[in-house]
Amino acid sequence: MKIGLEVHVALPTKSKLFCACSTTSEEPNSSICPICLGFPGSKPMLNKAALEYSLDVASALKCVSKNRTSFVRKVYFYPDLPKSYQITQLHDAIGVDGHLDLEKKRVRIRRIQLEEDPAKIIREDNYTLVDFNRSGLPLLEIVTEPDIASEDELREFLNELRSILYYLGVDIEKELKVDLNISVSDARVEVKNVTGIRNLVDAARYEIKRQEELVSKKQKIVAETRSYNEKSLKTDASREKESDEEYGFIYEPDLTFYKIEEKEREEPIIASRIAEAISKKYGCSKKTLLELVQFDSKALELLQHSQGKWPIQSIINVIEVLKRYESIKLSNEKFTELLEISKSGHQITDQIIKNVTSGSHVKVTVSDVSSEEIDEEIGKMIAANPKIMLEHEKNPKALNFIVGAVAKKLNASPRLVSERLGLVLKKGFKN
Amino acid sequence: MGGAKDSKKQKIEKVNYPKLLRELSKLNDELRFFTVINENVSEGVPFSVKDNLCVKGFESRAGSKILKGYLPPFSATSVERMMNKGFGFLGKTAMDEFGFGSFGVNTDVVAKNPFDDKCVAGGSSSGAAVAASVMKNHVAIAESTGGSISNPASFCGVVGFTPTYGLVSRYGLIDYANSLDKIGIMARSSSMVRETFEIIKGRDGYDSTCVDKKVSALKKKKIVVIDQLMNGVSEEIKSTFQVLLARLENQGYAINHVSFDFIDKAIPAYYIISMSEASTNLAKYDGYKYGMQYGDFTKKYNEFFTNARESFGTEAKRRIVLGTFVRGASVKDKYYTKALKVRTALTNKLAGLMKDSFILSPTMPITAPKIEEARKLSPLQTYAMDALTIPPNLSGFPHVSFPYAYIKGMPVGAQLVTSHFNDYALLDFVSEWEKSFEYQFKHNL
Ligand SMILES: [Zn+2]
Repeated sequence: MKIGLEVHVALPTKSKLFCACSTTSEEPNSSICPICLGFPGSKPMLNKAALEYSLDVASALKCVSKNRTSFVRKVYFYPDLPKSYQITQLHDAIGVDGHLDLEKKRVRIRRIQLEEDPAKIIREDNYTLVDFNRSGLPLLEIVTEPDIASEDELREFLNELRSILYYLGVDIEKELKVDLNISVSDARVEVKNVTGIRNLVDAARYEIKRQEELVSKKQKIVAETRSYNEKSLKTDASREKESDEEYGFIYEPDLTFYKIEEKEREEPIIASRIAEAISKKYGCSKKTLLELVQFDSKALELLQHSQGKWPIQSIINVIEVLKRYESIKLSNEKFTELLEISKSGHQITDQIIKNVTSGSHVKVTVSDVSSEEIDEEIGKMIAANPKIMLEHEKNPKALNFIVGAVAKKLNASPRLVSERLGLVLKKGFKN
Repeated sequence: MGGAKDSKKQKIEKVNYPKLLRELSKLNDELRFFTVINENVSEGVPFSVKDNLCVKGFESRAGSKILKGYLPPFSATSVERMMNKGFGFLGKTAMDEFGFGSFGVNTDVVAKNPFDDKCVAGGSSSGAAVAASVMKNHVAIAESTGGSISNPASFCGVVGFTPTYGLVSRYGLIDYANSLDKIGIMARSSSMVRETFEIIKGRDGYDSTCVDKKVSALKKKKIVVIDQLMNGVSEEIKSTFQVLLARLENQGYAINHVSFDFIDKAIPAYYIISMSEASTNLAKYDGYKYGMQYGDFTKKYNEFFTNARESFGTEAKRRIVLGTFVRGASVKDKYYTKALKVRTALTNKLAGLMKDSFILSPTMPITAPKIEEARKLSPLQTYAMDALTIPPNLSGFPHVSFPYAYIKGMPVGAQLVTSHFNDYALLDFVSEWEKSFEYQFKHNL
């Protein structure tokens, strides 16, 4: 079984791909101009920030880029397309021949191209509305080779890709729009315009099952375009009118060739790779680490800053708690404070986080005390409280009093005191 | 008359607008060269704008019914620059629909030749040429894709200048074929052309193909005449052209006749590229966003836009169909891609020829034909009329058409071509020419 994807990602630029209109307006048709409405006489001007973002993605996905890029017109008639052609790329795409490595698989990237989003169609019962705010938003299309071979790989690929995009500054809260190409046998079936990870996986699962059933019944699979119905969770054959013949691509003559300057791009942050390295180094679970940092740059920063200085388990625990209380955005210093508190045996609570972040917490610093000093103090405490020694056989919690008192007196870590107490009791109390 | 002697003076000169508007309106009833006249203009040297250039708040429909009523929300950069310099916007001039034509007859407002109103004014910038011809003190902003400035300039006896592709911003131009469209100038004299060129050229943040190159004035001592270009030229024009060459030889130019077969490829390459681009440009006219409104929104979109697009004229429909065909995936390499290669090859060869020479030819193979005759020509016969103007247009070379003879009272123009960005050399040449040749005009508003 082979799955290939065409993933459409909205780039996080302030203005649209070919005009100065804002990309974030809410009210329908409030962010429009003659250019993104395709008015006669208007001409597109390329947003260089979009070009930069797409080159970053191409580089992170190890694509090869030519020294220039150019655009084409793809002609089709639809009310969401104000010029009746979409400005997209063909020959001189942003990048080609890249790859993205999964845990056990390399998925090849065929092509990455920059294009404009059509307007948004809003279908009502017996009429259709068009919101041109979306017209001209910068989209990056990432086309893979059909290298994905299972639902798990599909999910892993999507998460890996989203993580890379997230670390490049792309807003992954916006749903991905994906075309799925699935072939169980020879025939290639395209499921168009699926949005959201859950729908994608559901659509793929349904389509794989459908094709497998046809194969087992020895029926022919038709190479066709289908659409996914989110309600019925099924794919249906859709009538696709345009073909490459009719798109009639020509160079976009209003835009020139854009030189791509060769420059060192920053090494991309690949969270899964960092998680793997840390898990190997400290012997903890990669999965746990990845869950913390895959879509959380702050968590990754705290992890990288503190690794090696503190026990990895403490770091993981504190990050987990911070994420649970949605308090991950704190400084390295405050994070260190929390690690200290945690190490001293205290549970990190919502209240402690609040106190630490607001600075009102009385610092729980652990002084530098030797085990001899602790042992000595334990001895004194036991001597002063003989009753406890009699009770602790029946009730281990009775010892907590001694631990607490010693820790408080010496300003020592309760955990350490507890450890010493255990040893002292084992060796036998000598007085 | 040789136009203004001092361009600075022109601008101070007070124009009697009430009188001009009165006379213009009267003459326009006869010659039909303006589609819109701006009655509110009151000062500055008058300039007109070809109907395919947007002027904010003035109907701009590129000679097409489908854009009827379109009031652009912005002005073309060239128009804005003229207005900012204090020129008076006089109105929009007639043209073939979207520039598709050589005689100005492919539209509802058919401009007539000021020398003989039975004859065409040329095309596609028909109205602009008439406006430049009939007014003493006027510059017409026009546009050429394959010869739309040279052609009517020749038929109407004015100077028609098409700058190097990319020197004048196309922002606000209703596109015909974007890689070929060039905004240029028509006037009674090279000095008026030059003054206008200075104003409208130069980089524009709204057109990525517009450059800020330094324009040179490298005078060439040699003139190349390409044999193949003379093949379709009428005998009477051939003989006047020989006289012109003799005069130029007398003035010190060396005339070289060369054979250049490849130039015959220019017409098919031009029509393939221009129709390919045109068919995509015209795709946007679906009848609901601007221009003519097709109110019946109860129809399905496909039916709706198909109905709306019936408003295109015959030539526009022909170019949409042919242009869509030649860029279709299965034949694209045979036509569109090949035409692009021919253009590159032709450009290189012509550039080689022009290293130390100008290229000179008659502008048109004939003098202005009768309107009725022009209407009877087949599309292929019409396309052949562009044989002389297409090569420099296809390659983006600057060229100028200037009147050099009159045959039976009808003006005849010659077209001078030079290398990219050597535009001033052309204007210097014509300015020199004007010292020894007096242009004739029929009307003097
Ligand atoms: Zn816009």
